[in-house]
Amino acid sequence: MTAEFDPRSARAQVAIAGAKGVTAEVLSTQPRKDVIRNTIFASLLFLAIAIALAGLCVLVGKNLVDGWSRLNLDLITQNNSSNPAEAGLRNAIIGTLWIMLFVIGMLVPLGVGAAVFLEEYGNRNSRLIRLIEVNIQNLAGVPSIIYGLLGLAFIARAPLNLGYVVLTAAMTLTLLVLPVVILASREAIRAVPASIREGSLALGATKWQTIRRQVLPASIPGIATGVILAISRAIGETAPLIPLGAATFVTFTPGPFTDFTAMPVTIFNWVKQPQPEFQALAAAGVLLLIALLVVMNSFAIWLRNRYEQTW
Amino acid sequence: MASGGESVRVHYQEELEQLEARALDGLDLVVAALDRTVEAVQHQDIELAQVVVADDDVIDGRYLEIHQAILTLLATQAPVATDLRLIAALLHVMKNIERMGDQCVNIAKLIPIAGREPPADERMLKNLVTMGHGVRAETRQAKRAFAERDVAMARDLVRQDDVIDNLNRECFQLALEIGDDHDRREWAMTMLLVARALERTGDNAVDVGEQVAFVVTGLFREFEDASHPDEPVLPQSSP
Amino acid sequence: MSNQVTQEERRTEQRQTGFAGDGAGAARPAIEVRAEFQHGAGCGSGEKVFELQDISVFYAGVPAVRDISMDVFRHEVTALIGPSGCGKSTLIRCLNRMNDLIPTAAVEGHLLYHGEDLYGPKVDPIQVRKLIGMVFQKPNPFPKSIYDNIAFGPRVLGMDGDMDEIVERALRSAALWDEVKDRLDANAYSMSGGQQQRLCIARCIAVSPDVILMDEPCSALDPISTGKIEDLMAELKQEFSIVIVTHNMQQAARVSDRTAFLMVELDADETHRWGRIVEYDETEKIFTNPSDQRTEDYVTGKVG
Repeated sequence: MTAEFDPRSARAQVAIAGAKGVTAEVLSTQPRKDVIRNTIFASLLFLAIAIALAGLCVLVGKNLVDGWSRLNLDLITQNNSSNPAEAGLRNAIIGTLWIMLFVIGMLVPLGVGAAVFLEEYGNRNSRLIRLIEVNIQNLAGVPSIIYGLLGLAFIARAPLNLGYVVLTAAMTLTLLVLPVVILASREAIRAVPASIREGSLALGATKWQTIRRQVLPASIPGIATGVILAISRAIGETAPLIPLGAATFVTFTPGPFTDFTAMPVTIFNWVKQPQPEFQALAAAGVLLLIALLVVMNSFAIWLRNRYEQTW
Repeated sequence: MASGGESVRVHYQEELEQLEARALDGLDLVVAALDRTVEAVQHQDIELAQVVVADDDVIDGRYLEIHQAILTLLATQAPVATDLRLIAALLHVMKNIERMGDQCVNIAKLIPIAGREPPADERMLKNLVTMGHGVRAETRQAKRAFAERDVAMARDLVRQDDVIDNLNRECFQLALEIGDDHDRREWAMTMLLVARALERTGDNAVDVGEQVAFVVTGLFREFEDASHPDEPVLPQSSP
Repeated sequence: MSNQVTQEERRTEQRQTGFAGDGAGAARPAIEVRAEFQHGAGCGSGEKVFELQDISVFYAGVPAVRDISMDVFRHEVTALIGPSGCGKSTLIRCLNRMNDLIPTAAVEGHLLYHGEDLYGPKVDPIQVRKLIGMVFQKPNPFPKSIYDNIAFGPRVLGMDGDMDEIVERALRSAALWDEVKDRLDANAYSMSGGQQQRLCIARCIAVSPDVILMDEPCSALDPISTGKIEDLMAELKQEFSIVIVTHNMQQAARVSDRTAFLMVELDADETHRWGRIVEYDETEKIFTNPSDQRTEDYVTGKVG
């Protein structure tokens, strides 16, 4: 018998087949405990999201059931009234729109301006700057009712003495969501790489030219997203508006300097009423508000995705 | 060569050193050829002359080998500064070696022509042997000068080569003396050619010395310039 | 090597005794390799663009480069080479006052630009950068169209003239026109890395500077793009003066007329390191016969 390895012999064939089989097995099997761990981990993560979704489903579902009867055009076309059959959200919607108009008008310059100052002109090591940064983040966490009282104390009454009008509400809400916009704008501005700034400066552009023509245009998507998210938060704020007179029962169309109401406040009022018809109205109002928020947030996401900058 | 810091490109350095060693060994081949050639001349040994002719292939082979190695090194390692000068010098040196080998072949081919009779003039023969040994010494010194980068040693080759040149002139005079003797003058003329070949071999050794100066200083100057005989050669002050 | 000193002696004596003619008619002429460069006659016009006199740069008091003295000449490509950390980028950023952007940076010494002190009290860095442009290591086109990238400089600087013409001229000078002329409003990021870098060069040229500084312009690019940009440099130096930092020695050897070799120096207790010029000379000399042994060791790659 030859001592050489003959690949055609039966023994050789078996050996080869065995080697192949073991390789395949080693490559494809996972140790049992890894499999168990992976499964448990995946399940826990799924559970987390399931709970979150469940909450949302319950919210929407309950309001859908309760408010189904009032989900029609009357909801939007009718002003509020003491008669539930004739009540609608029209004046509340207009009030909210007025408020948001002013909020945007004040929020963008203030928020973007503050962010530009902190990012571009602020010396990171200065104590003042760091103090400001810390406080902005704190302000984002202050309960909204405090802002309402702030507005009541200084804007509605002395020294500004504007009274209980839309402008007051707008200024208060602006202050409330300003930290959000500042933070989001700072992130967007920070995301613009230093190489872009350097490239612009190396051409002989001034710092302001660089900010206005390179940095800001490049950060607009991030800023816009921040603004939209801020507004969608502000739209739903009820507590700060109450001290400012939005709880008054308004049945006429509000203007900038008249008594006013807003959507969340009106809904809140309806919830307080004893009649079940008002409850139905409230549920319908909630759904409208949610729908509005979904639309706005979707728009924000679309905007961010569309204009997302890959450097 | 490294002055502080770790050495890099070790492989390249080794390649360069090996290349130089192989190239300079060509000079040893020339010395061996010279030895055989001189002996063949001395003893009118035609068989030995044939060996010299055949062995020239080895020298030619070495030339081609080094030539190819240099091209490869240039292409792959992009040598600069001293390394670059070294490579350029080695190309010159290899050419010189090849020529020296060819001169030995020339001499070897002349020996059968001289015939199998005893030499016609002992003095001429003695000169030739002296020249042969002198050139041999020059070649060995050239190799040492190059390997040690010793410019003074290289310059000394000029002096040695002057001796060879003088001997060559002497041979010429001796041949003239023999001139009218019909039986001997053919041999004398042939031996004159041998002397000439040896003198050229010596010049090639001096050329190798010039390359040493080039590698060290970066300047290429002829040690002796026939058109400017009074021009000072490289400064006499030794390093 | 003990030959160090004698090389210098020898060279001096060579110059004193002169050389034996240029070979016309001579049987075997002596070849003086350094002949036409003997008295520092360079490749350019000889006019100095920058004169650096004992320039030192400190970051928060820690030295980065020390005592740099060298002259940069007009219509030449001047290369700065050296191991990493020797301060080449720091040095080049002094030339257009980009170090001003770093609050802790301090520059000592005199930096003359066409005879004027670049760091003088009345000098505005913005004006400096209009004349001395910069191309960076990683291509940094703006997130705009190709056209707007080029036009940005002329627009913010308020340059007169037909913008289309300016853009075309800049793109032609950067050897990019043929490749992009049909898609000038495409986003700059749609181009390849090599094209982006040429776009940055075109952008720099569009504002008609006097000097172009390049900080390792090819280190992020593939060899073909690198080759194109090196060809470009040879053309550009006819109109501008170029200073280039490169860690690729072969590139410095290929493109530059003069090369400065910087090295890292450590202080006594090895806590601080800074860069110094070891040798600054014509490129051909640096790469065939450098005067300093340290230069020799670096360019031959024997010391990293």
